[in-house]
Amino acid sequence: MKRYDCLKALAADVKDALVVSSAGAMTLEWNSLHPNDGNLRVRTLGLCSSIALGMALGLPHRKVVALDGDGSLLMNLCSLPTIARMRPTNLVHIVFDNEVYEASGSKKTATGAGTDLVGVARAAGIKNAQWAITVDEFAKAAAAALRGNELCFIGAKVSTERTAVPPFPIDEVENKYRFMRHIERSEKIEIFKTNLPASYI
Amino acid sequence: MTAAESAKILVNGLKDAGIGLIATLPDVNLSDLLREVEEAKDVIHVPLCREEEGIGICAGGYLVGKKCAAIMQNGGFFNSTNAIVSTLLQYQIPVLLLIYYAGDIGDRTFASTGSMTEPVLQALGIRYYLMRDIGDAPELIKRAQILAEDAKKPIALLLTKELLGRRPALTSL
Repeated sequence: MKRYDCLKALAADVKDALVVSSAGAMTLEWNSLHPNDGNLRVRTLGLCSSIALGMALGLPHRKVVALDGDGSLLMNLCSLPTIARMRPTNLVHIVFDNEVYEASGSKKTATGAGTDLVGVARAAGIKNAQWAITVDEFAKAAAAALRGNELCFIGAKVSTERTAVPPFPIDEVENKYRFMRHIERSEKIEIFKTNLPASYI
Repeated sequence: MTAAESAKILVNGLKDAGIGLIATLPDVNLSDLLREVEEAKDVIHVPLCREEEGIGICAGGYLVGKKCAAIMQNGGFFNSTNAIVSTLLQYQIPVLLLIYYAGDIGDRTFASTGSMTEPVLQALGIRYYLMRDIGDAPELIKRAQILAEDAKKPIALLLTKELLGRRPALTSL
């Protein structure tokens, strides 16, 4: 199964969900399929699911999707028990498992040697955790997770095949501002309100 | 001042500064403070397994409009440095870091951790304030949050045993 085909299926159902994606080619593929100010590209390997958890807790009525990789999740496995403990019903954690550190030279990860990330997620306390082996299975699982009101973990076994897409055109700070302005507009809240002293106005 | 009274003052100070999400990892000297955080109303408390994930959680909370703080030991701050650099500093995200200062002057443990705490903060370009007097704490917390938002950077507050009401009298040592 190709990651790009899974992302295409996800883009059809994602609506106004916020999408946090781990560093690497997956982020580029996702942003080419679903360019949106509600997308955040993560730069710290491993932190994708934690950033998504913070968003899900901060905006409990809004769906948040974490697009993680096996290398990334393996670096921050402790995110799983924390997510299970907080149990945000609006978080969908998707892991594309290609069994290599794709963005770092394609060396094999521990999942290539037998570690089962869905098993790890379940053992951490995330009850609704499942593998998707075909694009059809993935599309169904993702649609159900986006529609439902339950913490979900979806593992998707994918090939190492990349799809040629344009680069991500904005830097981290612009990504942040676009994302936060998007939250202000869509949630009708003011995040950047500051009370300047009278002498500064 | 007892540890329980200090803890109340610190958590009220955080709430007055507008903090709405607090990620924590225990240290015995933070026990009263973390109990107070757990019981605080209108604050989302996230107990962590490792401090670095807390930096991500605070970043995510900030991006959707929450003012966020992380409470940890200085050893945990060292654990968090990659996330602090490549997420908080790279994206310019303000987060209050409340760091328990193990290995402070007068302690008999963690001298290496204590000796590296301020140099690492300085190396990261993170402004920090040493807190010893609980009387100053609410004002300092508010001012630190204002500075964090203005600088768009994390700001560290170093929590000492004096501040936390946990410094034993030297005569008892």
